[in-house]
Amino acid sequence: MGAARKSTARTQTLLALALLAALGSARADDAEDVAKLTKQDSSASAGIGTASGSQRDRSLFGQYNGMREKGSYLLLDLDYAKRNDQTGYWTRMWGRNLGLDNREAGVSFEQQGNWRIDADYSELVRHDPRTINTGVTGIGTTTPRVNLIAPGAGTDTNLELKRTALGVNGKIWLTPSLLFEASFKNEDKDGSRLWGRGFTCTSSAAPLPTTAAQIGCAAAPNSQWALLMLPEPINSTTKQLEAKFNYSGERFTLVGGYYGSFYTNANGNMTPSVPGTLYNPLGVPTALGTPAGLTQANGLLGILQSPMALPPDNQAHQFSLSGNYAFTQSTRATFKYSYTHATQDRDFLAMGLANAPAGVSNLSGRMDSTLLQAGVTSRPMPKLSLLANLRIEDRKDKTPDALYNLEGVNRFANTQSNLYRLGAKVEGSYQLPKNFRATLGMDYNSSDRGAFGLPDSVGGVTALRQKNWETEYRGEIRRTMSENFSGALAFGHSRRDGSIWLKPNTLPATGVTPMADNQIFSRTAGFPALFTDRKRDKLRGIADWLPTEQLSVQFMVEGAHDRYMEPGTKGLTDGTARLYSLDMSWSMSENWKLTAYASRGKQTMEIDHSTGYLASLSNINNSLGVGINGKPSPKFSVGGNLAFINDRNIYKQGLDVGASGNATGLANLAFLPTFPGLPDVVFRQTRLTLFGEYALEKNAAVRVTLLHQQAKLNEWTWGNNGVPFIFSDGTTISLNQNQRVSYAGAQYIYKFQ
Amino acid sequence: MKNKLIAAVHALVLGLCIAFSANAQDSAKKDLVLKGDARCTRCHDASDDFPVLAIAKTRHGTVADGRTPTCTSCHGDSESHVNKPADAKERPKPDRTFSKTSSTPPEARNEACLSCHKKDTARVHWAGSTHQARDVSCTSCHQIHTGHDKVRDKRTQPEVCFTCHKEQRAQINRPSHHPIPEGKMTCSDCHNAHGTAGPKLMARDSVNATCYTCHMEKRGPFVHPHEPVNEDCSNCHNPHGTVAESMLKVRPPFLCHQCHTPHGGNLAQLSGQGQGAALLGATTTGKSGINYTQARGCANCHTQVHGSNNPSNTNPTPQFFFR
Repeated sequence: MGAARKSTARTQTLLALALLAALGSARADDAEDVAKLTKQDSSASAGIGTASGSQRDRSLFGQYNGMREKGSYLLLDLDYAKRNDQTGYWTRMWGRNLGLDNREAGVSFEQQGNWRIDADYSELVRHDPRTINTGVTGIGTTTPRVNLIAPGAGTDTNLELKRTALGVNGKIWLTPSLLFEASFKNEDKDGSRLWGRGFTCTSSAAPLPTTAAQIGCAAAPNSQWALLMLPEPINSTTKQLEAKFNYSGERFTLVGGYYGSFYTNANGNMTPSVPGTLYNPLGVPTALGTPAGLTQANGLLGILQSPMALPPDNQAHQFSLSGNYAFTQSTRATFKYSYTHATQDRDFLAMGLANAPAGVSNLSGRMDSTLLQAGVTSRPMPKLSLLANLRIEDRKDKTPDALYNLEGVNRFANTQSNLYRLGAKVEGSYQLPKNFRATLGMDYNSSDRGAFGLPDSVGGVTALRQKNWETEYRGEIRRTMSENFSGALAFGHSRRDGSIWLKPNTLPATGVTPMADNQIFSRTAGFPALFTDRKRDKLRGIADWLPTEQLSVQFMVEGAHDRYMEPGTKGLTDGTARLYSLDMSWSMSENWKLTAYASRGKQTMEIDHSTGYLASLSNINNSLGVGINGKPSPKFSVGGNLAFINDRNIYKQGLDVGASGNATGLANLAFLPTFPGLPDVVFRQTRLTLFGEYALEKNAAVRVTLLHQQAKLNEWTWGNNGVPFIFSDGTTISLNQNQRVSYAGAQYIYKFQ
Repeated sequence: MKNKLIAAVHALVLGLCIAFSANAQDSAKKDLVLKGDARCTRCHDASDDFPVLAIAKTRHGTVADGRTPTCTSCHGDSESHVNKPADAKERPKPDRTFSKTSSTPPEARNEACLSCHKKDTARVHWAGSTHQARDVSCTSCHQIHTGHDKVRDKRTQPEVCFTCHKEQRAQINRPSHHPIPEGKMTCSDCHNAHGTAGPKLMARDSVNATCYTCHMEKRGPFVHPHEPVNEDCSNCHNPHGTVAESMLKVRPPFLCHQCHTPHGGNLAQLSGQGQGAALLGATTTGKSGINYTQARGCANCHTQVHGSNNPSNTNPTPQFFFR
């Protein structure tokens, strides 16, 4: 009996100890759980991804995502973050898309509150989605060679432009109030982009050459034209250096610093070699014309082979001082002053560009810009908010004038680009009864381009204006109707005006002559939209509704109407824009969330050529998106996203019968009855993305991503209805108009803390 | 006797359990993450409707940095929330809340952040900025109690911005776009949502100054500048995306003819549309409706549209951006 009792007691003691042990373990688990919830998350993942189709099938899909060239890819990502809780030291490392050509990686070290230093590296390749079929050799060099080919018989070429960037950033708190920040970024650009050249003879810019040292157009009947596809060779470097001191007092912050930006281009010019025979407009190989008594190279061939300038080295140094000041708790001011000195003095001959005016070896380009901004916000009473802001930007072009241009007896200088901009804004907002809040504001913006220099001449435009100014009046009424519903309605009306029109003088006279609207009016003149008078009306409405804690709905409508009022009737005369958008977010349960949106936008423009087409353009964009994320079980999370876009550009055209009185106009008029017009350009894309992630263990998971994208880009830029646009050497450019790509990727993810 | 012993052991176990439980409760009252957070974390933990502990993963949770806040720094002492008044039917909310339905005015919400972050260089121009004037609060975009704040990750930032900027959401999916959908660029590469001295919250002082950070080759100055380029890149480009190539707002020739008037009489037309000999013959001029509509449009010949630094004063002179 005693033994039995002893045994029972021992059993119960063990039970108690077990319970205690269990409780003790639970306590340890609590600490572990807290640690898990409060420690930084890190992960490393590796896997493979594969995309279907050819390079042409993936040209839209793979423009930037690193998946254009090959079918299969290594997927490598890293995110590491660790903090020493005692010292506040952080170490971070990350790498994304390490197996792709748009890889990036970075590292940072920091003692929070004291200092931080980080470095990042990034690659990005833009794969031009077009495929070029060409006989041009030496693409990417400054001396490409054009070879005549039968259209379609050339080599398929895809242009690429690679950016490689390295950045280093650092900051240190010198005192609790004084912060020093510095950054440096170097970016190399290497590759080529779609470019070209063309010229039409006869031309006032290339009169008949009379000596062997000249090039120009041959006289009729040898006057010809040519268009060539010549990729721009790119081999340049951009450097940016910035250093700032930031001092924070009790009521103010002051930031002073330097920002330098430097562009260097290893290429000064591109000089192509062109064969003496190119296709004529009917596709017949034809020898380029020879000016009488001279060689073929003195004619159009010489023009096509002349050096083309590439972007010159340039640099800018900016010094700035900005900050804010709190006069009181409710009245604050902000300001910025900056001075920028930008120069461009690349030696013309070093660029391979000859025939500069005598005594001029470089542009000696110099732009000095000053920015001054000051603003104040105040809440003089709890219900009233006021805001005022003034911004002045003064860019002075101090580049010296030189007579760069020669057209027969006409000589004129480079154009200087001065600009003085003034922007002012005042706004008041008042809290009205019944939860209404009203805002009224006025904006004023003006541009003054400076007096037009006498040695300068204007080309290609009917007239100019020295000054434009625009005043906008706007208002908004907003109401919070309940905790769950709010709405706002905003409107704006603006009017842009300008100084007297300046008509370019007829060469050989240079400069411009001021003219009143009725004097300068011409039925066949188009006035630059940049300068014309304009009335603009804008309306925007938004409603936010949260019918339940789980569901939110947002509706937005925007509209705008521009009316341009130039002295003539041509050019851009009218523009409208509309946008309707509905968004929804629904947390269906603790583990499932659904989001969706739909939007429709429409823009129209009326653009009339001065003596040609009358165009009525519209763009209609419908977008739809649905996303779902869920966690069917503690170990399993899934999600999906469907994005659809349907974008249609419509190009309606008529012809100004009365204005088109010349031979070209009459030929177009005869063509009009059979003219099928420009087909609509349609871009339609549907992208479905699905993912699932399954936790194999606490610290390991597998993730599978599936994607299918269908894209249709039906356009006529490089060909229409099976008829390609053919360059004069037989080059053609195309794009697979219906592209389907399926992608599957699987990754193993290791998580750690 | 046996029953007594069993009861005694049970009592002992129960006692130990209670004692341990009490001990555990004391432990729960200790700060878990931030200084003084026990006031909140005794109720709010990771399993709560308002999970809070993940803040420890963030910079706000770095206790070693003496500047980091505690719960009440942002939410206020919230006395009535912590100790619900006896006569209150529902527990009053904290002094300052940050949810979408919060009754805390945006200015008061933002003050909780700006009391520290006003020192940040990027926030110097917050006062008077568009977002400030439109009552956007910091937490409209930022999530504080999470190790992954969407808006601070360039891959997920756009979806936060698109909450309000719907037009841009549609535009970035067009074929000519910056690599935003691909996660290589994001909105804050060009815009500083916290306010700037430039227009449109541009990161630099103007639209052009911002564009030049990546496209410095367009800066010049050139021998032959193109004035609209110098004034504003967005005169011709829509950086959020277009169907026309090079992010042009409108396809040439329609874009160019908003300002220029040359090459009269033509319709914009395409190869293979049945043009007769008068429009397409062996000696037809190159200034045809086809040549200014297809390929690079007007830029087929006027190729140096951003400006040319060619100084040549011999024919053909480059002032019309030919070379």
